[in-house]
Amino acid sequence: MTAHQKTRLSLNQEQMVLAISGALFVIFSLTLDSFFQVSNLVSLLQNVSMLGILAIGMAGVVIGRGIDLTMVAVMVFSTGWSFVLFTGGMQIELALLLGLLLALAIGTVTGILVAYVEIPDIFATLAMATVITGLGRFALVPSDNIFISGDVGWLASLGTGSVAALPMPVVLFLVVACAAFVGLRLTRYGAFVYAIGDNPMASRNSGIPIRPIKVLMYSSSAFIAFCAGLIMAMTVSSVNTKLASSTMIYDIILVVVIGGIGLAGGKGSVRNVLSGTLLIGLLLNGMTIMNISYSAQNIIKSLILLLAIIVDSVLNPRDEQTSQQGDI
Amino acid sequence: MQISPLIEMRSVTKEYRGIPAIRNVDFKLLPGEVHALLGENGAGKSTLTKIMAGVTQATAGEMRLDDKAVSFATPGEALAEGVAMVFQETSLVPSMTVAQNLFLGEEKLFNRLRGIYIAAQQFMQSLNFQVDPWADVATLGAAKKQMVEIARAVRQKARVIIFDEPTATLTPEEKRHFFALVRDLKARGVAVIFITHALEEALSIADRISVLRDGELVISDDADRFDRDMIVQAMVGRSLSDELYHSHGEDKIRPPGHKVLSVQNLSMSKIVKNNSFSVYGGQVTGIFGLIGSGRSETAKVVCGIYKRDFFHGGEVRLENKPVRYRTPRPAVMDGIVYVTEDRKIEGFYESMSIAENIHRAAQAANVSPGLFVSYAEMKAMAADWSDKLNIRAIDSDASVIELSGGNQQKVVIARALVQKPKVVFFDEPTRGVDVGAISEIHQLINDLAEQGIAIVVISSYLPEILNLSDRILVSRGGRIVEEFTPEEATEERIMYAAVH
Repeated sequence: MTAHQKTRLSLNQEQMVLAISGALFVIFSLTLDSFFQVSNLVSLLQNVSMLGILAIGMAGVVIGRGIDLTMVAVMVFSTGWSFVLFTGGMQIELALLLGLLLALAIGTVTGILVAYVEIPDIFATLAMATVITGLGRFALVPSDNIFISGDVGWLASLGTGSVAALPMPVVLFLVVACAAFVGLRLTRYGAFVYAIGDNPMASRNSGIPIRPIKVLMYSSSAFIAFCAGLIMAMTVSSVNTKLASSTMIYDIILVVVIGGIGLAGGKGSVRNVLSGTLLIGLLLNGMTIMNISYSAQNIIKSLILLLAIIVDSVLNPRDEQTSQQGDI
Repeated sequence: MQISPLIEMRSVTKEYRGIPAIRNVDFKLLPGEVHALLGENGAGKSTLTKIMAGVTQATAGEMRLDDKAVSFATPGEALAEGVAMVFQETSLVPSMTVAQNLFLGEEKLFNRLRGIYIAAQQFMQSLNFQVDPWADVATLGAAKKQMVEIARAVRQKARVIIFDEPTATLTPEEKRHFFALVRDLKARGVAVIFITHALEEALSIADRISVLRDGELVISDDADRFDRDMIVQAMVGRSLSDELYHSHGEDKIRPPGHKVLSVQNLSMSKIVKNNSFSVYGGQVTGIFGLIGSGRSETAKVVCGIYKRDFFHGGEVRLENKPVRYRTPRPAVMDGIVYVTEDRKIEGFYESMSIAENIHRAAQAANVSPGLFVSYAEMKAMAADWSDKLNIRAIDSDASVIELSGGNQQKVVIARALVQKPKVVFFDEPTRGVDVGAISEIHQLINDLAEQGIAIVVISSYLPEILNLSDRILVSRGGRIVEEFTPEEATEERIMYAAVH
C-alpha cells in the first residue's frame, strides 16, 4: 500500500463513496417499488459491469499519469470489425484474433504518440479517438449496427451464461478486476506504472524505461477495451458503433475519478474502481427506475463528474508546490 | 533601554493535522533590525514566518504588529500592513520584463508601458540596483531575480521583509551582493528576517539571532553574544565538534585508482562547451562552480539525462569503452548514477514509503529483476539501507515527503546506491540538509570512495568541496578550467578560478 498519510486520505474518499452508495441503496429501496428486487439488483450489476471493466482499463492509464480517451472507439471498432469479418464468412476465432490485433495495434500507436512523439496524452488520445471513429466507420464497419447472426459457439456464454446466479458479465468484471490487481500491485510493470505516475522525472533519472512502459499502458487499456467490447457484443448480440460518439467515455472517467483514483497519477487501486462502479451503477439504475429522461441523466452525471474532479483536485493536487502546503 | 517590538508573537502554536509544527513560540522583531532565524529542517522556521506573512494561520496564540493584535488571512492583508515575504521559489512572472513584474497588479486600464519602464528605471536607480527594467525575468540570474523581488517589496512600502533561505541558490559572489542589499534595506529602516542554514551568514550579518528546535524557540539574543558552537549546540541540542568543515589537507589524500570515466570535448548547446575531465575510482573528485557554470548540466549529460550535441558532441569513455546515452536507463545499467540537487522535483516518489522508493530504484536497475514484486525483499532492502544510512522515520510506512530534509536526502542517496553504481555524481549532496545529517552524508561519501567507487561531488559550497575532495576541479562557462590538489587549494584560489 502507499504510505499511511495518503492512504488515510483516499480511504476517506473510499469510505465516503461507500457511505453514499449505502445511503442511495437505502433510499432507493424505500422509495422505489421495483428497486429492491433480485431481478433488478442482478440487472443493475450486469449493466454496470461493462462500465466497470472499461474503468479498470482506464485506471491503469490514469495511475500512470495519463488518460485514454480512445477506449470506447477502440472497443466498438475492434469488436465491430471482428463481427463484420465473421458475418462475411470468416472463422470466429480468426475474426476475433484479427480484431484483438487491431485493438493492440491502435493501443501501441497511441502509446508511441504519447511516449515517443511526446504529445500530451489528452490531445493524443482525443485525436486518435476521432481518427479511429472516422476510419473505422469508413473502412471497417459499413453500418451503424452490426447484428451478430450465426453460431458463435462457446462465446455466447460470455454474454448470457451465469455462475452461481451471477450473470457472466459480472463474473468477468471480477476476473478482470483480480487480474488488474495482480498486474498493478504485484508485478514489476505495475510498480513502474505507479512510479511514473508519482514522479516521471525521478523515474526517468533512476533508469525506469518510461517510454516502453507507457506504450504497454495504452496497449493494455486497448486490450481491456476489446474484452469489454466482446462481452458487450455477446450480451446484446450486436455492436453499436454510435457508442463511439456517445458520452460513454465520460462515464468511464466518472467512475475512475469518483472512486478516488487521482487524475494526478500514482494513487488509487482497483478497489477504488470497484467502489466507484458500485456508486455509479446504483445511481444509473435508480434514475432509470425513476424514469428520468436520458438528457436529464446526462446533466446529473456531468454535474457529478465536475464535482468529483473538483474534489479530486483538492485532495490530490497535481502541482507539487501546493501539495506541500502542509510542509513545515 | 526597552524598544517596543515591531512584531511580537505571543505563544503561537500551529498544528498540521493535529501535529504541532511550532509550539508556544514567543518571538520579537525590533524595528530596523536584521534578525536571523536558524534551526534544523523541520524546526518550524518556515511555519513561524509564514504565519507572520499571512501565508498560513496560527492555531493558537496572538500576533501583534505595532502593539496591536493582528491576524492575517492572506499574504495580501499582510502586505497591506507592510509585511512582505520573499520565497525560495521566486514569485515573479518569468515571461514578463522586470518593469512589468515590479508593477504587477497595479496596471491601469490603459497600461502605458513606456511610463512603467521609466518609473521602474528611476525606482531601481534609487535603490542602487543594477537591473535592466527591459530584461525578461527568465533571463536573469538568481541574485537579480531576488533584487527584483526585494524592489517589489520595497515599492509596496514593506516595513518587514522576510526571506526564506535567500542564499540557498546563490553563489558566493551573489551572496555578498545580497548581504549588501540587506544592509541597504536596514539603512532604510526596513526590518529583515531571514531564514538560513549557513551559520557564518547569520553571525556576520544579523543583529539578533533566534534558534528554533523541534517547533520551540530555544534562544533569541543579540548576535554578538553567539559563536558557531553555541548556535550549533542550540540547533541540534548537542555539541558538534568543528570536524565537520575542517580542511582535507591534513588527512591522507586517497590516490587515484584506475580511470573509470573519461570525458573529452563534451558539448551541449551553449551550456556545456568542449568540456574535458576524468574521474578515477576510489577517490572523490570535487567540482566547484558557480551557478550557470554548466557543472550540473555536464553531469546530467554524462548520465544520459540530457542529450549531448548531435554533431561535435564530444566523447565519453567508461572504462575506456566509448558510450553514448540518449536516456538515463543505459547509463544506470552501466553503473553511472546521478544524485540530484533537487530531490523534490526529480529525486523521490513523495507518496511512497521509504521501502517502495528504494525498491523501485533496485527494480529499475535490474538489481531486483523479478517479474513479480517481492514485498519481503522490499522490506529487507529498506531495513538494510535505513540501517546503513541511518535513515530515521517515525514509522516504516511513512511517506518520504513527511521526512526531514536530511532523511529525504538519505533516501535519494540510498536509491542511487542500491543500483550498485561504479560512478556516482552527487549534485549538491547537502543542500537543504540539517547540520547533523551533513556530517553523516560526508562520512558516507568518504566511505564509498574507500570502497573503490568513483565519486564526483558537485557543490557551490567551498568548505564542502575542500573537506571531501581528493582532486578539485573548477568549472566556469561550461567547462573545467582548472584543477587543484587539496594541498594547493585555498578558498581564494578556487574562487579566483571560478569567477575569472
